Amino acid sequence: MLNRIHITGMGIISAIGNSVEETFQSLNACKTGIGKIHHLKTRHRDDFLVGEIPFSNVQLAEMAESQVFDRTTLLGLIAAQQALINARIGDMKEARTGFISSTTVAGMPHSELLYKDFFENRYQGNFIDSHFSGVSTNVIASHLGIEDHVTTISTACSSAANAIMLGARLIRNGILDRVLVGGVDALSLFTLNGFNTLLILDKEWCKPFDDQRKGLNLGEGAAYLMLESEKMVKSSSKKSLALLTGYSNTNDAFHQTASSPEGQGACLAMQKALKIASLEPSQIDYINAHGTGTPNNDSSEGIAMQTVFGSKVPAFSSTKAYTGHTLAAAASIEAVISILSLQHNTIFPCLNREHQMTDLTICPVDTLQNDVALQHVMSNSFGFGGNCSSLIFSKN
Amino acid sequence: MEVQEIIKNLKVQIVEQLNLEEVKPEDIDANAPLFGDGLGLDSIDALELIVLLEKNYEIKIQDPKEAKAIFTSVQTMADYVASKMK
Amino acid sequence: MEAFINGATCISHHNTVDETFFFEGCSPFAPSPFLKVAPFEHKNYIPSAMSRRASHILKMGITAGMMTLERAGIKSPDAIVVGTGMGCFEDTDKFLRALVDNEEQLLTPTSFIQSTHNSVAGQIALLTKCQGHNFTYVHQNNSFESALLDALMLLKEGEAQQVLVGGIDELNAPLQELFERAGHIKAAEDLKELLWESTSKGSVAGEGAAFFNLSKKRNANSLAKIRGVKTIQKTNSGEELLEMALEFLSELAIKKSEIDLVLSGRSGDVEKDLKLKEFESRLNIPLAYFKPLCGEYFTSGAFALWLGTSIIKKQLVPGCIPSDQTKPNSLRNILIVNHHSDELYSLICVSAC
Repeated sequence: MLNRIHITGMGIISAIGNSVEETFQSLNACKTGIGKIHHLKTRHRDDFLVGEIPFSNVQLAEMAESQVFDRTTLLGLIAAQQALINARIGDMKEARTGFISSTTVAGMPHSELLYKDFFENRYQGNFIDSHFSGVSTNVIASHLGIEDHVTTISTACSSAANAIMLGARLIRNGILDRVLVGGVDALSLFTLNGFNTLLILDKEWCKPFDDQRKGLNLGEGAAYLMLESEKMVKSSSKKSLALLTGYSNTNDAFHQTASSPEGQGACLAMQKALKIASLEPSQIDYINAHGTGTPNNDSSEGIAMQTVFGSKVPAFSSTKAYTGHTLAAAASIEAVISILSLQHNTIFPCLNREHQMTDLTICPVDTLQNDVALQHVMSNSFGFGGNCSSLIFSKN
Repeated sequence: MEVQEIIKNLKVQIVEQLNLEEVKPEDIDANAPLFGDGLGLDSIDALELIVLLEKNYEIKIQDPKEAKAIFTSVQTMADYVASKMK
Repeated sequence: MEAFINGATCISHHNTVDETFFFEGCSPFAPSPFLKVAPFEHKNYIPSAMSRRASHILKMGITAGMMTLERAGIKSPDAIVVGTGMGCFEDTDKFLRALVDNEEQLLTPTSFIQSTHNSVAGQIALLTKCQGHNFTYVHQNNSFESALLDALMLLKEGEAQQVLVGGIDELNAPLQELFERAGHIKAAEDLKELLWESTSKGSVAGEGAAFFNLSKKRNANSLAKIRGVKTIQKTNSGEELLEMALEFLSELAIKKSEIDLVLSGRSGDVEKDLKLKEFESRLNIPLAYFKPLCGEYFTSGAFALWLGTSIIKKQLVPGCIPSDQTKPNSLRNILIVNHHSDELYSLICVSAC
């Protein structure tokens, strides 16, 4: 019997709110956070809609009580602090405490503003030391006083799922007693323009699982979960919000950016997560899908769900039309949302959907469903490089 | 610009933009398929070709689906460019 | 958590790809403050459709990874785990430069796609059709060590029988300028000093790729055995570092007296090496320094593990990084101690098998 992994705290900031409570309110009201660009300085300001957090870096620094100027680190700090307060953890030394964060942009939102001036000798400062991925993790760890195993994962859009999975494995392997896990990404010119070159940004609100979907809306945010061992929770008589029962990471090994049409990697990830959780497919009550709204992802993921669950695909929806696609934060933001679903027995529906996908026989949840008995919830996250991850959260 | 001249230019531009290490522009058969069996290009190359047309010929392809027919071969690309330049 | 190294490849400043070479005739003095890797042949390992898009780090990483599998006699591993401190900077620079120069117009996707940190691990998965666990760690100078820990856990969990694990980082012109202007690089006149006797600030930057095939099972190809790895997020002094190292060894049930050699990651920066020097002075174990061979970079720990493995296999410390106190044919257990800019430390123990 594997050691049970408890979630004892959560923290989140995204376009739909700066706390777990605000996030729930927005979801429960079916309210999107996606709109026009205000803070990111881009020539595409009027071309795309994004899930931007409505605060400047100065405002975020005040909220985080930090002198840091880097947006990625600030968002991470805000969510991480919330999670620790929620888990009622103050003293990091009382148990072996780790921190696993994920990011794809890291210091890019700051570096990209200085890059040209630096190489044309108009800027003489040093931004490279705050550019690389580990820096934001280190700043957050040191701010929180976490000194045991700390690391950073970057596997594109599945990053945070892998951070969560690693945390559970570190506890089960007896390396840590508890670990703060999740991911963060701020909006950047780099990612906005990058996804634009792939022609997978929808100029309007994204429509996950709609037959006429055109692409994704980018978002930004951070979310962290405090994972604790069974022993830690028992000894402190702490409230466990939910259990992390299943996790898995696989590779589609098909294409650098696109998913295979039949979603092989996705199938394997879901099946393996079920195996780790010792659950039958029929025991999953709801799937928070990756559902980015790109033609390729939603088709491939839908077919994979049909393969894994056969004629009994559970209720599923994508919440990307609320928050936007927050890349390395997406899986942890959706982990918080999955746990909110479990806690409130509520399924938050897809937004903006009108047309049934012709290549799928299944149909996502389109209206808010309260009072659904949810025991086990699966959350999918897939990324470039064929990276596929599935997590399963269960009621304690 | 004549179609033949456009073909010649396109071959050079394709080799350069896609960094086709082992291909010389003159080796490309204008009628051979660009994707699959012919030059062996893929979906990422298709996106590169869209920008190639925008950069060199100021032609914007708005709908990715439209691109498929245009990028059948160097010949079809050249015909499309010629039709837009008239 | 132990594992046998059943195949290894190292691309570095010296011709380490050649398994018969072991730094014969090499000098401990750096010819320049930037140690680029020696030329290597990638054509047999990377198909042309992939190589035409591949940046330097992709070529290094994929070649080292595929070569390691070949040496271990493995077609497709069960898992791929990679560490890279800086990721694919050449492609990042290319896309970012085009973005700022063209004011966000006429951008193409290739360099954006390839700039993703997990490109190397993803492309090796593509080439080997490996559908298993595929992680990329990007935690500065604990990137490789985090990957190694993950690999050891996968073997222990029974999730994988064969794990490909590696560390990679690249140098290029923009990075060199960024490092130089940030004050991280030694002045040319300071290269006359031996790195481990340095009285100046800054270090010699390097790059490289080192990959290992790990398995629970020993076979005829086994080079050495990894005993354990530990990442250290914070240490206040050399004394504390020593305590951590002794605790690490005791967890592995290895006595300090059983360690035959310490491979130290002194960077050559007189100020940033202070804790490591204090650690070394309290240690009283033969020492050798590996950064004169590979330069300073975030995943130099992977080079050090390859070097430790080779020292055990060959029972020889390269002549250019002398360790006069070691006795020949007695090199069984090696402790690697590394750091970067006095931020984050790590320990790896590797033994004869």
